[in-house]
Amino acid sequence: MENLVIAGSGPAGLTAAIYSARADLSPLVFEGPGPGGQLTVSHEVGNYPGLEQPLSGMELMSRFRKQAEGFGTRFESAAVERVANDDNILKLQAGDKIVETRALIIATGAQARRLPIPSEKKFYGRGISGCATCDGFFYRDKKVIVVGGGNVAMQDAVFLTRFASKVTVVHRREYLRADPIEVQIAKNNAKIEWMIPYIVEEILGNDLVTGARLKNTESGETVQLECEGIFAAIGHEPKTEVFKNVVETDEKGFIVVQPGSTKTSTDGVFACGDVCDHEYKQAVVAAGQGCMAAMEAERYLGIRE
Amino acid sequence: MSNVVEITDQNFEEEVLKSDLPTEVDFWAPWCGPCMAVSPIYDKLAEEYDNFKFCKINVDENPETATKYQVMSIPMQMFFSDGDKVDELLGAVPEQIIRSKVGEVIQKFPTDERGRLKVILSSWIEHNKQDSEKFKKWLQKAQELKNYAVYSSLLKATGEMEKANESLSQLLREL
Repeated sequence: MENLVIAGSGPAGLTAAIYSARADLSPLVFEGPGPGGQLTVSHEVGNYPGLEQPLSGMELMSRFRKQAEGFGTRFESAAVERVANDDNILKLQAGDKIVETRALIIATGAQARRLPIPSEKKFYGRGISGCATCDGFFYRDKKVIVVGGGNVAMQDAVFLTRFASKVTVVHRREYLRADPIEVQIAKNNAKIEWMIPYIVEEILGNDLVTGARLKNTESGETVQLECEGIFAAIGHEPKTEVFKNVVETDEKGFIVVQPGSTKTSTDGVFACGDVCDHEYKQAVVAAGQGCMAAMEAERYLGIRE
Repeated sequence: MSNVVEITDQNFEEEVLKSDLPTEVDFWAPWCGPCMAVSPIYDKLAEEYDNFKFCKINVDENPETATKYQVMSIPMQMFFSDGDKVDELLGAVPEQIIRSKVGEVIQKFPTDERGRLKVILSSWIEHNKQDSEKFKKWLQKAQELKNYAVYSSLLKATGEMEKANESLSQLLREL
């Protein structure tokens, strides 16, 4: 029987691991797909406190992990696939392992939303990419599209100008959600063009992407744009599917937590980071909530009053 | 020291296409976070399997191979058997999925002589009757495997396709 299992290995899960390992709870972390979480695809993290110089998301997360490991956290690479609540004992299945635990911290984060176009799946990895930092390299001197109006879209567009001959930002409405500083950096870049207010209606090509058909969301007019790469940065959705039978989630799939707490609708189950964060979606917020979850789990387990 | 073999554009043919074992190639780059996250899984698997070859190729230093196989997104894992690409896995997928894919490839492309001949013959019969280039390659393989019964049947097959298919089907049943 485990005391504490943590599902997820991003800033929330690993901060929960650091705190609970230091409290001698000997946590077991199921890292899940993409160990280190969403931050690992971030080319440069400049806003995490304590970093005098920016670090890559990968480097930052490997430091989190080493720190958690140093205090005695145990790691399994599998993802939690099934959960059952049996009289306050949680039974988890992850890969070929079945584990019972008294407390569970859900920190599985969110995943990038994919373009809602039927042919998207066919072209994924053939011109459609979800990771500009991974795949920008393959688009040297080619034309690409970035879809979205948030910070990630702005950063991806700017990053891709290092490789691509032209980057077109396609966004569905005039208002850009990104921070003004990110918008300004993108607007100042001569290689970036703007198609606003447009959506990608269809992906064009046979085997590989050769273009996109865009539709004006106000006039309905369509245009074809030549491109070999399409990078979607249209937000994220929480990865909570497997937990829906043990905790309450809202209409968008986020886990419902008590205000100012990480407690879910089920005793002994805590949630932190992007699985319950509608608003901020920042590594430092996730880490803060991870700390809260560890302390609340510790209290729940009665090791410290 | 990892058992994963480092591949370059220069030795790709020798190490991968001419490999006697089914082979996995991990296309990666140092700037790719998800690539760095999955690479320890391959290190681990390479320790475990002795009937499967694990390789990695840095696309930054070896762009030719990545271009040839139309890699446009990493991490990308491609699986090869007898010189052909037979499957792929895109993205940082969990260990469990990688394991089952490796198992699938091993099952589909066995490494023992009888198993390999079976694969060669059934592919010929089912899919590639018109592909003479492939056929020549298999002919050569049968010869290399020193299975002369198969070799002579294959030779006959180059003449009369219909008859040859019958006799190849027969031979396949006997294998």
